Amino acid sequence: MNIAKTLVMAGLLAFAPAVVASPAAFAQDSATAIGNAADSAPATAPAEAANAVAPAETAAAPAAAVPAPPRLKPTEGVGMPRPGEITLQEQFTDTGRQARWIHDAVLLPVITVICLIVLALMLFIIARYRRGANPTPSRTSHNTLLEIVWTVAPILVLVVIAVPSISLIAEQYRPAPKEALTVKVTGYQWYWGYEYPDQGIGEFVSNMLPPEKAVENGEPYLLAADNRLVLPAGRPIKLIITAADVIHSFAVPSLWVKMDAVPGRLNEKAFTIEKPGVYYGQCSELCGARHAFMPIAIEALPPAEFDAWVRSQGGDPAGNANGEAPQTAAAAAPAPAAPRI
Amino acid sequence: MNSPSIPASSDLARRNRRVLVMAALVALGSLGLGFAAVPLYRIFCQTTGFGGTTQRADETVVVKPVAGRTMSVRFDSNVAPGMPWEFYPEHPTDTVEIGARDMAIFIAKNVSDKPVTGTAVFNVTPTQAGAYFTKIQCFCFTEQTLQPGEQMRMPVIYYVDPKILDDPDNKDTQQITLSYTFNPVEPK
Amino acid sequence: MTTIAADPHDVHAHDHHDADHKPGFFARWFMSTNHKDIGTLYLIFAICAGVIGGAISGLMRHELAQPGIQYLHSWAMLMDGPDATLDQAYHLWNVLITAHGLIMVFFMVMPAIIGGFGNWFVPIMIGAPDMAFPRMNNISFWLLIPAFLLLLGSTLVPGGTGNGAGTGWTVYAPLSTSGSPGPAVDLAILSLHIAGASSILGAINFITTIFNMRAPGMTLHKMPLFVWSVLVTAFLLLLSLPVLAAAITMLLTDRNFGTVFYDGLRGGDPELYQHLFWFFGHPEVYIMILPGFGIVSQIVSTFSRKPVFGYLGMAYAMVAIGVVGFVVWAHHMFTTGMSVNVKMYFTAATMVIAVPTGIKIFSWIATMWGGSLTFKTPMVWALGFIFMFTVGGVTGVVLANGGIDDALHDTYYVVAHFHYVLSLGAVFALFAGFYYWFPKFSGRMYNEVLGQLHFWVFFIGVNILFFPMHFLGLSGMPRRYPDYPEAFAFWNQIATHGYDIMAVGVLIFFINVFWSLFAGPKAAANPWGEGATTLEWTLSSPPPYHQFETLPQID
Repeated sequence: MNIAKTLVMAGLLAFAPAVVASPAAFAQDSATAIGNAADSAPATAPAEAANAVAPAETAAAPAAAVPAPPRLKPTEGVGMPRPGEITLQEQFTDTGRQARWIHDAVLLPVITVICLIVLALMLFIIARYRRGANPTPSRTSHNTLLEIVWTVAPILVLVVIAVPSISLIAEQYRPAPKEALTVKVTGYQWYWGYEYPDQGIGEFVSNMLPPEKAVENGEPYLLAADNRLVLPAGRPIKLIITAADVIHSFAVPSLWVKMDAVPGRLNEKAFTIEKPGVYYGQCSELCGARHAFMPIAIEALPPAEFDAWVRSQGGDPAGNANGEAPQTAAAAAPAPAAPRI
Repeated sequence: MNSPSIPASSDLARRNRRVLVMAALVALGSLGLGFAAVPLYRIFCQTTGFGGTTQRADETVVVKPVAGRTMSVRFDSNVAPGMPWEFYPEHPTDTVEIGARDMAIFIAKNVSDKPVTGTAVFNVTPTQAGAYFTKIQCFCFTEQTLQPGEQMRMPVIYYVDPKILDDPDNKDTQQITLSYTFNPVEPK
Repeated sequence: MTTIAADPHDVHAHDHHDADHKPGFFARWFMSTNHKDIGTLYLIFAICAGVIGGAISGLMRHELAQPGIQYLHSWAMLMDGPDATLDQAYHLWNVLITAHGLIMVFFMVMPAIIGGFGNWFVPIMIGAPDMAFPRMNNISFWLLIPAFLLLLGSTLVPGGTGNGAGTGWTVYAPLSTSGSPGPAVDLAILSLHIAGASSILGAINFITTIFNMRAPGMTLHKMPLFVWSVLVTAFLLLLSLPVLAAAITMLLTDRNFGTVFYDGLRGGDPELYQHLFWFFGHPEVYIMILPGFGIVSQIVSTFSRKPVFGYLGMAYAMVAIGVVGFVVWAHHMFTTGMSVNVKMYFTAATMVIAVPTGIKIFSWIATMWGGSLTFKTPMVWALGFIFMFTVGGVTGVVLANGGIDDALHDTYYVVAHFHYVLSLGAVFALFAGFYYWFPKFSGRMYNEVLGQLHFWVFFIGVNILFFPMHFLGLSGMPRRYPDYPEAFAFWNQIATHGYDIMAVGVLIFFINVFWSLFAGPKAAANPWGEGATTLEWTLSSPPPYHQFETLPQID
């Protein structure tokens, strides 16, 4: 394990108890980064790391020659809810735009018209067929044609809705190309862990920023996180998502991403962020006491800056940190079970 | 209904009991179905690859590799909370010819001072690839025991079924991720 | 205490000459086998549970009135002692959402709409003297009491981070297994078992009664639509509740006996629980709304002075909703990472439900078309139901789209949707039925002015309460959050005002009920005139203790 990674982990571990000790106690209870934690147990990183805005970057700085890009400022109302908003958030992925269009241009008009038709019919009936206006009721109780019409018409409307809807689902399930940046996301009670297996960036954890820190950073409280999930804009991304304890759900409304994180099971979600920015989300499956306090903050950087960030973390931007397995003509003959070394 | 005063009411009581028994049987059947869902769901997942359940074949299986068609395979590893192991793939990715057998190595190390036995659960993503990811040999088929401090290389031998090339749901699948989670087995 | 009530046939034997002879107070209310008395007990129970469940929602709504934690921490100190931590406060929040959901579903809507109105009026509407199994009917009701006490008691014992079960009404594993140590969740699960057993017994009773006890000439296709709705509901209960029982039994064994049915880390699958839960849970929402459909059909027909339009279509639309309701469950699980084909199937299947639902809406409108409408309180509630259910229904079509649900799943949009169909749907139907049949079961008229006032205040209140939740959901506010970012403050505040208005409406309801029970004018056998054609209006108000000693002949 290279030294930069160790230092990063140590910095994070140092950060964890500091936050736990603080009265707000919004941090995780124990860092459980697997594989790295055991080696970096003595948390000797400087204590200032715990107070830095981005401790991972600070802690890694001495070892990495490349400085991390400055922490991106969010744009008000972009990648986050707007005050008093009544619509879906502005979208920054292909499928997000497509889905939002289906909602805004197909579903919303259709359901509004249906409601207005029902309302209009009811108001007409109330006016026209009240006792005063119509003292003798008719005895009509059947009209086969009418009944066929109001069975078939909704079917047609549903077909109109279903066509774009089904193609949207197909689009959302299109897997990422193999060169996509892969990030492993792990849900914990109650924080997120991010790992870049190909870049050799070991798991770091992302906790919610306490209110005063969020305000100081100009970020929305309950959405801001200390270590953001840093991603490149304009490049395909594949998140592989799991959880360590209970079910969480990784959700970012402005990217139209919501995928459950299930212990013992891996899910994947592919998308491409159209432009740099900060995109916020929140855990979306009830996961216990601090369910509301484990936000997701994605920082999408231009590709070059992203590569610089990877280098600042001691990672390999080319994505070959751990190498691909050699081409083996393996297992023409059965391999011995579990060879020991 | 011990005082059947009029014949009609005793007849009604009998008919009522019959419906009662039938309805109770339906409810019991439904209850049984609820429990039967456990094995049924497992069988369903295994046969259809639902939820990314992988397939299993034995040593003798003969599959013809499809020349020039490759699939990237990613290996993902997790350990359950309370499992004192390090566990990671030797290489995070591999590129294999579709239909050809390949071997991937995972490395596990017991970092505690006690012997620990574990088993691994697994699935693949994208989930629609589950039906075509076939394991011939896997450390996950049995329990594994590691002595304190012991490190083990654990192989998995697998192939990607060439039928994946004919499945429209997988036409864009370029990389399959195989994920394992090791968890402790309580000593019996 | 007499032995009379112990056996319904004895009752008949002894009371042959006086249909209105009632047993003593204890025997009548605690050992009751009379369907009307049991119906009354159910209604009283449901109202009590509704007040508790509604008070909990008031607590939550006021906590959410503005961003930050307002009262939650001090409530936690009341519950868990003065040194309750903030985490315990957050846990209390989860306990509140769980209790609100379970109480409203299992102890308010179901007992009121099936146990209350079903017991009271199904036997009368089909011309039967009582339910098929009067003593089983008694057991059904009295099982609810320990079930409710267990649920309330669970809030006093440890359930993980704090006291009480904080798993949500869905009780998802593994949060409900490894994630919630302590006996609270066990008690809540046992409560569900008992409430479920109660409902299954009730369902068997209704099915037997409706199949075997109809008066001569009362064929299935002549039954009032309310009876049809209860019949379909009883089948849904019979088929779905045992699956829930199985699912939560496995939760119990996972929690206490080391099984791993739902433990994804040990070879089980937490998603199996979700499949089983929603295989029950989706029919469950129809269990809550179908009897409402039945009530509204009766009322619309009565106050339009017309027979129901498209009677057979209406009856079989309910059957269709019930059947299709069993094959759409996984639309509650769109974000669990299911395969693309599965998601497409459940999207399409779910949308199909809109068709029979549309038939019902249009048939109600056609029933009124050409009618001679009066707008008494029950009719006003029924009209409110039709429109509000339409609004809730169409947002269901939005949510049915798997691709759209990726943004809306587990947000306030879902909360808005199911409150429109349940809190404005089922509850409007409950109030409609309550006012419609109040003269029948109490023998007194309610106050019309207060009834109308109740409707308008409640209607305005719930719309202000729930409509803004669509906006919150669209802009991304997740469910089950005790605190939220500043941006969601505006609509949350509006919603809280809506709650207060609604609460005033409920207060008017109670004033009306108490005033009418003690001082309301005596009700005639049929206060609604020629439009009310079902059998309950041929009996006195209130009906004799034993009705139909000689069975009516239906032609």
